[in-house]
Amino acid sequence: MIGRLRGWMLAGAVVVAVLVVATVLILIAGADPLTGLQGLIAGVSSSPYRVGELLVGAVPIAIVALTLIPALRAGVFSVGAEGQVIFGAIFATAATLGTAGLFGEGVPAPVYWVIGMVSGALGGAAFALLPAWLAERWHVNIILSTLLLNYIAAGFLGWTLRTWLASGENTATPQSQQLPEASALPDLIPGTRAHIGVLLIIVVAVLFEWWRRTSQATRIGVFAERPRLALRLGTTRARTLYGTMLVSGAGAGVVGWLQVAGVNERLFNSVSGGVGFSGLAVALLGALLPGGILLAALFFSALTAGALGIQSATGTVPSSIADVIKGVLLLGVAAVAGVTARSGAARPAAAPPLTDVAAVTPDGEPTPTPATESAGTEERS
Amino acid sequence: MSIELWASILAGAIVLATPLVIAGLGEGFVERAGRLNLGIEGMMILGAFVAVFVASFAGLVAGLAAAMLTGLALAALMNLVVYRLGANEIVVGLAITMLGLGLSTYLYQLWIPAGQTNVSVPTAPKLGLGILTDIPLIGPALFGQSPLVYGALVLAIAAWAIFRFTRFGLQVRAVGADPTSAALRGVRPRQIGAQTLLIGGALAGLAGSVITLGSIGAFSPDITAGRGYIVLAIVIMGRMTPVGIAIGALLFGFLQSFSLLAQSTAIQLPSELYQTFPYAITLIVLVLTSRAALRRHLGRHLRRDPGRASGRTLPA
Repeated sequence: MIGRLRGWMLAGAVVVAVLVVATVLILIAGADPLTGLQGLIAGVSSSPYRVGELLVGAVPIAIVALTLIPALRAGVFSVGAEGQVIFGAIFATAATLGTAGLFGEGVPAPVYWVIGMVSGALGGAAFALLPAWLAERWHVNIILSTLLLNYIAAGFLGWTLRTWLASGENTATPQSQQLPEASALPDLIPGTRAHIGVLLIIVVAVLFEWWRRTSQATRIGVFAERPRLALRLGTTRARTLYGTMLVSGAGAGVVGWLQVAGVNERLFNSVSGGVGFSGLAVALLGALLPGGILLAALFFSALTAGALGIQSATGTVPSSIADVIKGVLLLGVAAVAGVTARSGAARPAAAPPLTDVAAVTPDGEPTPTPATESAGTEERS
Repeated sequence: MSIELWASILAGAIVLATPLVIAGLGEGFVERAGRLNLGIEGMMILGAFVAVFVASFAGLVAGLAAAMLTGLALAALMNLVVYRLGANEIVVGLAITMLGLGLSTYLYQLWIPAGQTNVSVPTAPKLGLGILTDIPLIGPALFGQSPLVYGALVLAIAAWAIFRFTRFGLQVRAVGADPTSAALRGVRPRQIGAQTLLIGGALAGLAGSVITLGSIGAFSPDITAGRGYIVLAIVIMGRMTPVGIAIGALLFGFLQSFSLLAQSTAIQLPSELYQTFPYAITLIVLVLTSRAALRRHLGRHLRRDPGRASGRTLPA
């Protein structure tokens, strides 16, 4: 009971911290925080178009986050969603344009969608395979390999849009040809950019809820803390690495397809647009649980849309205020997760340690195991 | 390619390697003590911004100092959240990076609203060490650099000496190797860890300021372009030793300088290939280093106890 109250108080402290930071940032800009708040609300809800924007922004982030959960729960800390989104988008664009080229005008829309989605998933998964293999074979740190591969993916996309997928028209920004009309995802809410692809989040959420109840999910959780026990339960390091990385890669790849077929109907250099990093942050913010992730994704999207509202309402506050607030929020939530995990009020939400050395906390205490976790509650509070 | 071009590639390599050396030495302390600072990128970029902003009215030295303080402050925040409150080190590192990237962009856009021309400050003057600068090929690279470059060299030697000869260096190594036994022998792991993190943060901030004040003279959003992460890779490649880190940084600096300057030559390759070249080579070297480390590790364990090697887990 006390633990729960404390949890709410800590969450309240994070909200207060975020509000204080936002107020200070707006004051530095010489604007009125209340005007900023009005702008934020207007930016999110003033018209159906804005609500559509909210969905278009939130769904890709949520899909990336949900499909990252298995990896994060296994302690496989992949930061490569940016690059996987890019590869998914390239594969989906190439496959869609290729289909149109082979079979001409008459291809029905659902065929395009299946081809786009499957090839997007394949592209993302293929690009996730390399860091998984490097980690499995030679223990190459996944954080670093995926980070470096993001830059390589961005370079490959730039080259792609200049060469084999270039539109051929003379445009200022490099881009691919327009996708055939049938392959574009139709609008879900007329007059907005929200397309029927946003419904995919329901599919992903249902799949996740099913996965969560399988024994595989349990084994992955065990793997993170006791790899040898997981081995006895029938999952190896290799299987965990490949499985979780392929799932997260496929999810990010599907998002790549969504962004191309749903939003722009062309491939641009900006296709990933930070969706991969936001997805990782949202997965961690949502404590690796689907409900929390959907909420956090909507919040992230609302912040991005609302910050544009703040910018136009105040005139002086740059919309990048959203990025600062996201960072503060992640920091605050990480701190709360740390405090509650230590005091035994909840299981640790975030990923387990990265290295052998980290199995012992810096103070020299062994990492709290489930059995000893409840012990420290009273003395800490 | 002419000798003049190679001379400028080498000179550029040293310039580009300098921030990596500085931040890498800091991270070397952090990782030797068994910690990980994934927030380097955020500390570097905020340092890079603060340095230009402060230098624009208070001069170069004040700019460098302010950048160090900025990195120090972010490291103190990280120390508080991770090692006092018990948050996850990786998550907080990413959060600090998000915060640094966001804050530097926000403050920069406030300082210089869209449409206004960027503010430039004078960069650190290049020293001309007389006739030595005229040595072909290596003259400009070794003897015609700014004091910041030579400062990084001094820093590398100092870091080497600290690990080699001082009590603090020994304590850091002890804490990293085995915090429990170190604590039993009277070393305070938490304190040592905090000190290394603060050193790492201050040096990351300084490294950011070297990017802006050392060669460009102005700030722009995302100016660090992932160099904070490159630093992490370099520290792994250099096996956390000052000499190894310096070599890794020079390698990356050379690759980047080569990529920048070789584009203008007769070798016609796609420009994207040049841009991604340093990241790709870093990845390859990282793979080779990890492979070698794994072999050493397995070799050691196989000799000692054949049964243990296969079940043991290394960093994922």
